[in-house]
Amino acid sequence: MDTDGSGLTPDEVARWRALPWKLLPAVPRAPVMNMALDEVLVERVGSNERAPTLRVWGWSAPCVVLGRFQSVRNEVDEEAAACHGIAIVRRISGGGAMFIEPEGAITWSLYAPESMAEGRTFAESYRLFDAWVVDALRELGIDAWYAPLNDITSTAGKIGGAAQARRAGAVLHHTTMAYAMNMPLMLEVLRIGKEKLSDKGVTSADKRVAPLRQQTHLPRAAIIQHMIQHFRQRFGINESYLTPDEFADAESRAREKFGTRAWTHYLP
Amino acid sequence: MSTRGEYKMPGGKLIAVEFDVTNGELRDVVVTGDFFLYPEEALPLLGGALEGSPTTLDEAGYAARVRTALHTKGELVGSSPEALAAAVVRALRARAGLERDDGH
Repeated sequence: MDTDGSGLTPDEVARWRALPWKLLPAVPRAPVMNMALDEVLVERVGSNERAPTLRVWGWSAPCVVLGRFQSVRNEVDEEAAACHGIAIVRRISGGGAMFIEPEGAITWSLYAPESMAEGRTFAESYRLFDAWVVDALRELGIDAWYAPLNDITSTAGKIGGAAQARRAGAVLHHTTMAYAMNMPLMLEVLRIGKEKLSDKGVTSADKRVAPLRQQTHLPRAAIIQHMIQHFRQRFGINESYLTPDEFADAESRAREKFGTRAWTHYLP
Repeated sequence: MSTRGEYKMPGGKLIAVEFDVTNGELRDVVVTGDFFLYPEEALPLLGGALEGSPTTLDEAGYAARVRTALHTKGELVGSSPEALAAAVVRALRARAGLERDDGH
């Protein structure tokens, strides 16, 4: 099966290549806009209003991004977050909380037609969408691999994680990799429970994160550039832009949904 | 006072449950965690499956209720009905322990 260096079969590579990928380059945006854009863009790819897209995220402010099913008080020390000016937002996909500082993380979303993952279990489709990332990281000299269910890891430690959501006709797959970690601040803001570490070994050190700056000594922008270059050479991709209509749609959802307590605190 | 239990599947995700006990039944059941559930709107089915269950069921009993409620309407990924049932049993045990400590 491992014919392409990553477990992507020739048939899978052909599926990636068959799609007319568009790139949305990183623009710093408010955390709540990043949440709203994911929903708008996955819907529009599902309804064929937009071509399959790779969106690189930019952040204008630090935040905690909660998974769809997480309880705020179990994951975040809200007082500490407020004290450091860290917003709390909730994304549309499941999975775990992320602590984000604008220059500390590398995040992107893939919006693909559901046919891309046809005939696969939910679990298998995580590997399908992360395999190219593993290859791109290996080109940087990192011995990365995909660790089920949704992690990208390496000998030095975990690099990142992914989450997926489905909307009519489309898959959203977003991945965040740690570039540089502010561990003291993260531990102050996030509550990391013992049960979460229970199958990771006896000490929390087993759950160590190995940020990319430490592993590559490359600037963040160079890593992002490398990821895009890898994608372009392998599958093809053309630059695109957010249409005024997409932007307006996201702004209105940021205001009416993602920025409201009814959404962020629906599981208090 | 509500009681809480968690269970993380080995190699999987954490699922947590919180509920009150009234007249020997689970009430106001809320399920949270870093699991995946498709579609996302199926979340209320998890709590709903356990709502009103007697505290005397065993793990398999709670798991069966969750499995039946999800059936064709939702799929847990990185967790399972059995994992949620294990969290319920842990919560009940923790609660029983607290009551003993209170001299009940």
